[in-house]
Amino acid sequence: MYLWRSGGLRRGDLDMLRRIDSIFSLMNNVRGQSPRQLWTESRLFPLMNVRENADAFEVSTEIPGMKIEDVELKVEGETLTVKGERKAEDTPSGASYHRREIVTGAFQRSLTLPAKIDPDNVLASYKNGILLVTLPKEKRALPKQIKITSD
Amino acid sequence: MTTEALQSTEKSGVNIDKGELTHEGDFFTPAVDIYETPEEIVMNVDLPGVAPKDLDIDLSEDTLTIVGKVSENDSEGTDLLVEYRVGHYYRSFLINDAVDRSAISANLNDGALKLKLPKAAKAVPRKIPISAG
Repeated sequence: MYLWRSGGLRRGDLDMLRRIDSIFSLMNNVRGQSPRQLWTESRLFPLMNVRENADAFEVSTEIPGMKIEDVELKVEGETLTVKGERKAEDTPSGASYHRREIVTGAFQRSLTLPAKIDPDNVLASYKNGILLVTLPKEKRALPKQIKITSD
Repeated sequence: MTTEALQSTEKSGVNIDKGELTHEGDFFTPAVDIYETPEEIVMNVDLPGVAPKDLDIDLSEDTLTIVGKVSENDSEGTDLLVEYRVGHYYRSFLINDAVDRSAISANLNDGALKLKLPKAAKAVPRKIPISAG
């Protein structure tokens, strides 16, 4: 399923999406499934969690089932950009879908961090479907303890 | 502004008809794709954050249950942005008689689980050759 948009949602669109959602939830109720508000809940992909510690920022994001070569990471100034594509599986001919909830397609997202970072020491790992990017703060941005000497 | 953007959906909590979970922590319903070919049923389940050792797949009677445990990110620091919640996964499916239960296989790779449920020999459609003469 490709979910995409250009520009923002218009007010009328949201009304329509809500109506589509209510139709889906009606159908799901008949089939005894928990309703998923697929259209009105959708937001930017991927969702990110950012944590700050004394000397780095940690950005984590859930993008399961990716190939590393399909993900592109870029740091420009304080901005981190994650770009990639989750490709749909090539199903054998004659396959028919019973259920399709996993979204596939291209994504790009930029995130600006609140402090200068050291682009040469950015580390990224991909494990169990979670992309974790560690961005060390620039040395100059780190608080420095100043020793006071007395004669 | 990107011209084309994949959108994400919020994780939905678990709704269980049979009973409540008594485990600790939040449980989410993972997204799943199910497709069927003449030979098998394939299920793709998104379980980001679940290591193979923390995944439990159980088949009892007709119910296939998937439980994936996620260990919390325990690194130090303060959260600046929390867009997704971290929690375990739970989902169960009813399996029909067409599936050969002894031949179900599972493969977890980078948080994406692929379950293959081959159909029992009797359920696979067979062409019967007709000889003339």
